[in-house]
Amino acid sequence: MKSKYKGMNARMILSAIIVCFGMVAAILPQKQNSSVQLDAQQLLYEIQLKNHVVSVDEMADAIINNDPYYQLIDLRSPEEFAAYNLPGSLNIPFDKLFTPEWAPYIDQVARKNVFYSNGSTLANEAWMLTRQKGMKNNYILEGGLNNWISTILTPTAPESTVGDEAINSFQARLGARQYFSGEGAASASSANNAPRKPVPAKKKTKVAGGCS
Amino acid sequence: MGPIVPLFEIPEELNLLIAFLIGLGFGFTLEQAGFSSSRKLAGMFYGYDITVLKVFFTAAITGMLGLLFLNYFGLIDMSLVYLNEYYMTSAIIGGIIMGAGFIIGGFCPGTSVCAAAIGKIDAMYFIGGGLVGIFLFGETYTWWEKLYNANYLGMVKLSDSIGVSDGILALIVIVAAVMMFWIGEMAEKKFKREDISNEI
Repeated sequence: MKSKYKGMNARMILSAIIVCFGMVAAILPQKQNSSVQLDAQQLLYEIQLKNHVVSVDEMADAIINNDPYYQLIDLRSPEEFAAYNLPGSLNIPFDKLFTPEWAPYIDQVARKNVFYSNGSTLANEAWMLTRQKGMKNNYILEGGLNNWISTILTPTAPESTVGDEAINSFQARLGARQYFSGEGAASASSANNAPRKPVPAKKKTKVAGGCS
Repeated sequence: MGPIVPLFEIPEELNLLIAFLIGLGFGFTLEQAGFSSSRKLAGMFYGYDITVLKVFFTAAITGMLGLLFLNYFGLIDMSLVYLNEYYMTSAIIGGIIMGAGFIIGGFCPGTSVCAAAIGKIDAMYFIGGGLVGIFLFGETYTWWEKLYNANYLGMVKLSDSIGVSDGILALIVIVAAVMMFWIGEMAEKKFKREDISNEI
């Protein structure tokens, strides 16, 4: 009789312990961890590294050479885009960035997206949003269109006392200006500059499974 | 942060090896719980043995609490955890077929493999029947396709669909399980069958 009582007691204790665990679980706040999203600290570090910035010289070079790796993305409104845009760029208005229509273009692995707007604020914001969501391969055009116009389209001649490097980059900019303003340079075929279909980022493949 | 094994970044062979080891553990646990005996399994339906209820609910509670606490301590990203997709019609019909097969055959698909592994001939027939069923279903799939995909609800969680937090649902399940264990044990005494031995 005594042993039976002891057995009952052990069951009571076990039941109480497991219910206590359940109560602790019920009290704990809901939490959502993410192994992909970056926290503010990591984001700050990446911003300071400046690896997300593409200089206008690099971009001009890529456009001239028809580099298929770069995909320019214009974040301005369609009207502004129609008025002026860089060759081969795709118009994704800032407020449409995460819509199902455009999300595959910014969450992809095949190309280097370069965001631009008039200044650099909008592009920076777009980059931060996408980076926070864990997306890679998004960059911004340094200084935006304003910088593009002042550096590539209207380059100023450096002082003759500066080094060869500045002189060379000035020469390159002069060439680029000729290319983009259409003076004398052969224009690139529009077919090569047409926006391409995005290659989607790796999907989480579903794991099939189950018991019994 | 998890996953412990990054499933899509390891070679396929290693992946299969991990699956094999997990499968061994699963089979061993089933066998240890006595689930290779169809008497024990059928006992659930007649009320003389509720081991099935106890083992599966204990596993569910352990897994549930484990995931909740791992999540709380930031060790797991729940958005990457796979939830079985919910096809409501399929789940209901499948549940009925599964239950009927369970009581008729005396095994569930997992335990039949377990019992066949220790040489039970009825379990081998059970597996054969299962395979025939799978073959027929595969061959006539187009007939059922619409029914099969009906009322698809996606990867839903019970807690989301009834609108409580995961923790509260865990508490509800635990309390329900403990109550079921106690009631089940009373039933075990009431429906005791001296003629059915638990040997083998």
